[in-house]
Amino acid sequence: MIGQALQRQGFVPIPDFINVDSVSFRFDARQLALGNVKLTIPLGQFVCLLGPSGCGKTTLLNLIAGFLAPTDGYVFVNGKVVDGPGPDRGMVFQDYSLFPWLTVLKNIEFGPDIAGMRASARRERAMHYLDLVNLGHIADSYPTQLSGGMKQRVAIARALAAGPKVLLMDEPFAALDAMTRSKLQLELIRIHELERPTILFVTHNIDEAIRLADRVLVMSPNPGRVVSDVTIDMEKPRARTSVEFSRLYDRFEAEIGLESS
Amino acid sequence: MDTKRVRSAVISVLGIGGFFLLWHLVAVSGLVDRVMLPSPAEVFWSALAIARTGELQDHIRASIFRMALGYAAGSSLGILMGVLLGRSTFLESLVGPILQMARAIPPLALVPLIIFWFGVNEGAKISLIGWATFFPVWINTLLGVKGVNPLFIRAGQSLGARRATLLLKVVIPAALAPIFSGMRVALSMSFTVLVAAELAGALAGLGYLIQMSALSFRVDTIFVGIVVLAILGFIADTLFMQLLYRLFPWYRSEQTGK
Repeated sequence: MIGQALQRQGFVPIPDFINVDSVSFRFDARQLALGNVKLTIPLGQFVCLLGPSGCGKTTLLNLIAGFLAPTDGYVFVNGKVVDGPGPDRGMVFQDYSLFPWLTVLKNIEFGPDIAGMRASARRERAMHYLDLVNLGHIADSYPTQLSGGMKQRVAIARALAAGPKVLLMDEPFAALDAMTRSKLQLELIRIHELERPTILFVTHNIDEAIRLADRVLVMSPNPGRVVSDVTIDMEKPRARTSVEFSRLYDRFEAEIGLESS
Repeated sequence: MDTKRVRSAVISVLGIGGFFLLWHLVAVSGLVDRVMLPSPAEVFWSALAIARTGELQDHIRASIFRMALGYAAGSSLGILMGVLLGRSTFLESLVGPILQMARAIPPLALVPLIIFWFGVNEGAKISLIGWATFFPVWINTLLGVKGVNPLFIRAGQSLGARRATLLLKVVIPAALAPIFSGMRVALSMSFTVLVAAELAGALAGLGYLIQMSALSFRVDTIFVGIVVLAILGFIADTLFMQLLYRLFPWYRSEQTGK
């Protein structure tokens, strides 16, 4: 929806669409989970937060989602301070969060339904996103009947159908087998190219970050912070065998390895 | 798959048949007094005799009426209080302990008091059944609402659901499985209390039938009451589960893992 509007307008990026302004966060007095993080993300960019466990990447995502409130600093999305979760920031979780009491189609209609969209319109919208993830044929199934990969594709469709300005993805493919994971990465690239949502994607998988991202933010723990900000210009989908791919891989590995030792 | 179901149905029928056969053999063996233990056939003929006059149907109707009203009232109140206390720590601290204490009272202990207060009218029996069904539904709803997977709540919030919408569209549906188990326990509980209430004082009902039969030394009609209660209980539970499976198709797969 937003993507189409942008294409019509010739895609003028808003440079600081997401603005994390000097944000610190602590769960308790002893440990600083995030220390003075500053970053901006332009509209439509696909950004990966890459780092080892404990580096605060999920915490940062939850702060932008509004599930957590910063101890210090502010998070702005589209010029407004984040003060709680909302439909402008769609979430895809690592664990399956589809509502088991609703069919696949009703799950995707959930957001449009809350927004007050009429039954026929929201059904059409849900079918559009279900087709987008190539699952038009399972509209009336229940989530318990689906494989892990299908569940995550439905979760992506559900998040997109609510019309978010940004898609926040918390290691969404981490629980999947390697082949399914690879397939979903390609689908996500295709969806991003079609609809141009801003995506913030958390992963601890270097390969995944290089395959997906326009830009990789490498994070490091104690305190959690961004240590490296790398823009990747390579054409997608990206071949793992390319020189550039291996160069980036070695670089990220070194950065994560050095910082966590 | 289908042959498996047929197979288990056949085995179940054999089990039931075997039970009645055993009962029959014991009754006719001469080891026990025939008056004290009538055979299944004798119970059947007695049932037919009471049914012919329409008396049995009246008893069944009276019992089902009380049970249905008491169960409906107790369950709805149980769900309401469970949701309220599950979502409000203030309410939970305020009335939670009192309800927990009340829950510990065996409902049968209240029978004399309720009869003392309300006499033997319908209201007394219905409220006793309502009282007994309230607690399992309430406690299961409370635990269900409090135990909702936080991921569902987060997902709902980031799809735009807040407060009442979140409660109605996420929290309550997510708690339905425990609510249903509470309602199922309450259903069998309502039979127990129904009979206790009717034994203590009624002018019709299956408990009353049993009581009157005992006073007139009709062991065969005591058995009629017992068997009818068993059948009614079985039908009620089966209908309850079938209704749930029909209304909530996802519930079956969640229950059976299929």
